[in-house]
Amino acid sequence: MLENLHLNGKVVVITGGGTGLGLEMVRALARSGASLAIAGRRPGPIADARDEAIAAGSDAIAIPTDVASSSDANALIDAAVAHFGKVDVLINNAAMVAENVLKPIWDITDDEWQTAMTINLSGAFYCARAAAKPMADAGKGKIINVASGFGLRGGRDIYMYCTSKGGVINLTRVLSFSLARYGITANSIVPGFIPTIDPTAEINRTLPQTGDFLPSGKLGRPEELGPIAVFLASDASDYMTGEMFILDGGGLAAGIAPTGHAPIAPLEP
Amino acid sequence: MTLPSLTLPIEYDLTGQTAIVASAGGAETPLLAAALAEAGAQIFAVARHPDATAAILDAVANVTGRPAPVPSAPAYPGYAGRWDTPDGAAAVLSAFDAAHARADILVNDTRSFFAKPAPEITAAEWDELHARNVRATFMLSQAVGARMLAQQYGRIVNVISNLAERGLHNCSAFSATQAAVLSLTRSLAVEWGRHEIRVNAIGAGWTTADDIPLETQRSELLVRYTPLRRKGTPHDIAALLVFLASPHCDYPTGQPTYIDGGANAHP
Repeated sequence: MLENLHLNGKVVVITGGGTGLGLEMVRALARSGASLAIAGRRPGPIADARDEAIAAGSDAIAIPTDVASSSDANALIDAAVAHFGKVDVLINNAAMVAENVLKPIWDITDDEWQTAMTINLSGAFYCARAAAKPMADAGKGKIINVASGFGLRGGRDIYMYCTSKGGVINLTRVLSFSLARYGITANSIVPGFIPTIDPTAEINRTLPQTGDFLPSGKLGRPEELGPIAVFLASDASDYMTGEMFILDGGGLAAGIAPTGHAPIAPLEP
Repeated sequence: MTLPSLTLPIEYDLTGQTAIVASAGGAETPLLAAALAEAGAQIFAVARHPDATAAILDAVANVTGRPAPVPSAPAYPGYAGRWDTPDGAAAVLSAFDAAHARADILVNDTRSFFAKPAPEITAAEWDELHARNVRATFMLSQAVGARMLAQQYGRIVNVISNLAERGLHNCSAFSATQAAVLSLTRSLAVEWGRHEIRVNAIGAGWTTADDIPLETQRSELLVRYTPLRRKGTPHDIAALLVFLASPHCDYPTGQPTYIDGGANAHP
C-alpha cells in the first residue's frame, strides 16, 4: 500500500529552498531520493542547500531566481529541464514573510502592496505557468504551493501577506481543476505558526512567541513540513488535488483566542 | 505478500505502535489496516459483523505473513459487535486488553453509506445511521481517549467522506453524519491538544476498493464530474493515514485533508 511513498527518479523544483521551511523540505526530499533544482534570490544559501542535498546522495543544482520576475521563473524551469530532462514537481515556497508586512492600511504604499503581491502570489503563478508546459507534455506533474493559515483567516494589519496567501490557496484550486486533464495535480501546504525568521523582525510583534495560545500548546518546527512535502511530491498522493494540508497546532480548528475557554453547561430540562 | 518498503521515510514508521481500527464494514478498511501494518503497526480490528473483523485481520496477515488469528484464539486481536454505547465501547476495550497493552492509534472509518430522498427517511433510519457513524465514533474516541489522556499520547484519525463539506441528492442523513464527525475532529483536537493527542480527518471522495477499468468507471456521471476522472481507492489515502497516525505528526491537528480527485475544489 505504501510502495509509492518515495521520490526516486523524481525531479523537484523548489523556490525559496535555501532557508527556513524551504531548506527543511530540501533535506526531506533529498533523503527520499529526489533530484533537486533549488531556487532562491541569494546565491549563498541555495549553494549550501545544494551541497547538503548532494552530500545526502541527491543530484542537485542551485539556480539564483527572483520569482517576482517571470523571466527568472521561466529560466528556472528551463534550467531544470536542461539539466534533468524533466520537471515532475514544483514547490512554490518563496515568499516575502518579514518585510513591510505589518502596517495600518493608510501607511501602505502602492509599491509595498505590489511588491508583496508580486513575490507571494504572482511568483507562484509565474513558476506554475512555466512548469505546467513540460508537465503537460509529460502527461504528469505536481504543483505544491506553500500558503499560510493567514490565507484562511485575517491578521490585524497584515494586508499583503494574508491576501496573497489566500490567493495562493485559491490559485491552487484553479490549477487543480484546469490542469487535471493534463495529469497535473495542485495542492497547498498550509503552515500555522512555525518560527523561521529573524526574531527581531517586525512581524514578530503580531506572531505568538510561544504555543500558549494554540490547542497543541506548542509552535511548529520547520522540519515538520518535510514528510508532507515528500507525500505531496510522491505518487502516493496522486488522487489528492485542489486541496490543503494544514499543520497549525489546532489554531484553525479552534481559533487562537478561545483556547482555555472551557464552559460547562448542563442540559436544560 | 507485501514487504515493508525499505525507502519508507522515517516519519511514516509505526514500528512498536498499536492501532485500533474501527470499520463500518465494507472492503476499504481492511486495506487501510494493511497500510498501517505495512508501516509496522499492530492492528486491533473492530466491526459490527465477525466477517468484517476477520477481513481486516486477513488483510493484516497478508502483510505480516503470519497466519490470521481465529476468533476463538486467546488474545484474538479483534472485536465483532456494536460499539455505539458506553457498554459497547467498554467491550471493545476489554477485548483489546486481552490482546494488547497500549492503544497508540485509533482509526474510525465509520462511513456507513445510506441514500434516500429526504421525505422518505424514517426517524429509525436517521437514528441508526447516526448511531453507526457518529455515536460509535464518539463512544470509542471517548473510551480510547480516556486512556490516551492517561498516557499523555494518542493519534486519532477519522476517515470521512467529502460530503462533510457538500450537499448531494438523497444524502441528507449521510452528509450530516460526516459533517458531525468532522466537527468532532475539531473539538477533540482542541480539547485534548495539550495532552499530546492529535485528532485529524481524511476526507475521501467517491471511492471503491475494487479494481474497476477506467472506461467502466467513466460511464458514471459522478466519475466524470471528478476532475481526476476516476474513483478513489484506499491506496490513495493510505500514506496520509500512516503519517497522521505516526508520532511525527505533531503540529497537524483538528483538520480534515481531502483526497478526493479534486471534487471539493471545483464548482
